[in-house]
Amino acid sequence: MSDIILESLNIHKGFGGVVALDSLTFLVERNTITAIIGPNGAGKTTLLNVVSGMHAPDRGTIYLNRKTISGLKPYEITRCGLARTFQNAQIFGNMTVLENVMVGRHVRTRAGIISSALRLSRMRREEPVTCARARFYLDMVDLKEIADRPAASIPIGSQRLLEIARALASEPEILLLDEPAAGLNTQETRQLGALIRTIKEMGITVVIVEHDMELVMDISDEIIVLNYGKRIAEGKPVEIQTNQEVIDVYLGKEE
Amino acid sequence: MDSAISILNSAFDRTLEPSNPEPSNPGTLEPLNPVSYSMKLNRHSATLIFAAVIFLLPLFIKNPYYLSILVFIGIYSITTMGLNLLMGYTGQISLGHGAFFGIGAYTSGILTVYYHVPISVAFIAALILSALVAYLIGVPSLRLKGHYLAMATLAFGEIVNIFLDAAVDLTGGPSGFGEIPRIQIGSLVLDSDLKYFYFVWIVFIIIFILTNNLINSRVGRALRSIHGSELASTAMGVNTAQLKVQVFILSALAASVSGSLYVHFVTFISPTTCNIMFSILLVMMVVVGGMANIWGCILGAALLTILPEYLRVFEDYDVIVYGFILLFIIMFLPGGLSQGFAMAYGTIRRGRSRAAKP
Repeated sequence: MSDIILESLNIHKGFGGVVALDSLTFLVERNTITAIIGPNGAGKTTLLNVVSGMHAPDRGTIYLNRKTISGLKPYEITRCGLARTFQNAQIFGNMTVLENVMVGRHVRTRAGIISSALRLSRMRREEPVTCARARFYLDMVDLKEIADRPAASIPIGSQRLLEIARALASEPEILLLDEPAAGLNTQETRQLGALIRTIKEMGITVVIVEHDMELVMDISDEIIVLNYGKRIAEGKPVEIQTNQEVIDVYLGKEE
Repeated sequence: MDSAISILNSAFDRTLEPSNPEPSNPGTLEPLNPVSYSMKLNRHSATLIFAAVIFLLPLFIKNPYYLSILVFIGIYSITTMGLNLLMGYTGQISLGHGAFFGIGAYTSGILTVYYHVPISVAFIAALILSALVAYLIGVPSLRLKGHYLAMATLAFGEIVNIFLDAAVDLTGGPSGFGEIPRIQIGSLVLDSDLKYFYFVWIVFIIIFILTNNLINSRVGRALRSIHGSELASTAMGVNTAQLKVQVFILSALAASVSGSLYVHFVTFISPTTCNIMFSILLVMMVVVGGMANIWGCILGAALLTILPEYLRVFEDYDVIVYGFILLFIIMFLPGGLSQGFAMAYGTIRRGRSRAAKP
C-alpha cells in the first residue's frame, strides 16, 4: 500500500481572468522525489505557493498527512512539517549565513520575547542546540567555511544551498524546492542532484519544480507535467520522456 | 528642513527596501557586521565597560548644564533603542513615535498633577496606555508596507498631537502644564541633575541589557529575518504579523518610558515636545546612529542632542550647518556613526597587525 504524504484535490486558483491552476488533483508519495515540470506559465510556482500557503486556493483542498492545510497561514503550514525554498533565492541578506539557518529552527524552538530578554532557562537551553543543528545543516550543504559571512555577500549558487539548509533546519517531512538549479553551472547542478538524493535518504519527501531536464530525469521518482494549470501527464521519467502529449507541449505540435 | 527630508528619504530607502541579496550590491549592511560580531563575543563586558564609563562621567563633568544634556541623551537613547528594534532590526518604519513619547509624558504628568496618583503607578498606567494604543494602531497599520506604513504612523502622530492641543481641560492645550513632581525613591528626592543622571542611566542600562538579550535570540533573529525577507520569514514559520505588532508595542513602551522620565525631569510638558518634528528627529537619531546596531541608538541620540547646542556659534545659520552635517553623515556613512566606529576600529586593528609583522 502506498503511503500518501501530500494530496491535493481539485485545487483551483485564478488571478483576475487568468486561470493558473485548473481543478488540479495530484498525490505525492512519502519518501519520493516528485518533479513538477511544464512550460513557462504552466502554474508550477503557483502550485508551490498554494501548497505552502502563500496563496489561498479559490477552491479545493490540500491535505498534508491527511490533515487539511489549505486555508492555513504559511507559518502554520511550516509548523505542520512542510518547508520550501524560493525561485529567486529569498535569503536574509542582513544576517550571517549561520544565522540564516538558525532562523530555520524557529518552528522547533519556543523561547518568546520574555524568556529571550531575561535569558530564562528555556532560552539558555535552546540556543546551543539551535546553533549546533544549524551548523550540522550548513555542513551538509558544504557551507560551513563561510558560516560567519554576511549572507548577502555569498554567490548565488551558495545562496540556493543556504536556502535548502535553512529549510532543512526546520526538520520538515516534506520539502518543496522551486527551481533550485536556476543559475547554477553544470558541476553545481550535479552536486545539487546528489544533495537532493541525500535529503531523500534522510526520509524527507522532496517536491521539486525545475527546468533543468537532465536533473529532473536523473533524480525524480515521479514526474507531474503541467500545462495551463492542468495536469497533462504523470509517471516515471521514462514514461514522461516518451509521452507524445508532453513532447508536443515542449517542442510544439506538427500541424 | 530640506536636508531633514533628504535624510529621511535615504532612511526610507534603507528601511523599506532591505538587503538586496544581489552579490553585486551587498548594500550597506556588510560593514555593520564586524561590530555586531565583535560585540557579540564580549557582549556583557562591552556593556559593563560602557556602564562604568557612563557612571564615572559625573566625576569629570560637574557643570549642571552638561549633566542635563547627558540626562536628555539617556532619555532619547531609550526611545531610539526601541525605535531601532522596530526600524533597524525589523525594517518597519514609524514616523509617529513622538506620540508614544507624548502619551507616556502626558499620562505621567496628568495623573500625578491632577489626580495625585503616586509616580510609580502613573508610570505603569502610562505603559499600559501606550501598549494599548500601540496594539490598536499596530494591528491595522503594520499590514501596510513601506511608504504606506510611514504615512499611517505619521497620521497617527498628528492625531495624537491635535488631541493634545485641543483637549485643553485635560492637557492644558497648546500652552501645556507644569508643576509636575520630581521622582522620589523612598526618602530620596531626585531633585538635582546629578541624581537624575544616575536614575536615567540606570534605567537605560537595564533596558539596554534586555534589548541586547532580545536581539541575540530566537526572537531577534526572527525580527531581522522579517527585515531580510518577509516572504521567507513567514515560510520559515515566523508569525510575522503577530511579531511585528509585538515589536511595535515594545518600541512604544520604550518611548513611553522616555516620556515619563522626561516629564519628571523637565517638570513641564506641552504638545510641541512630542510633535511630528520630534518623531522625525527620533527617526534621524536611529539612522544617524546606525540601523540594526544597538550602540547606534546612543551615538545617534548623543549627536543630535549635542550638535544643536554647539552649533549656536553659527547663530542664524545653525540649522543650515546642522542639516549639512547630517547630510554628510548619511552620504559618507550610510551605516551611521556605528559603522564609522566599526571602520575606524578595523583600520586601527589592521594597522596594528601590520606593525606587529616584521
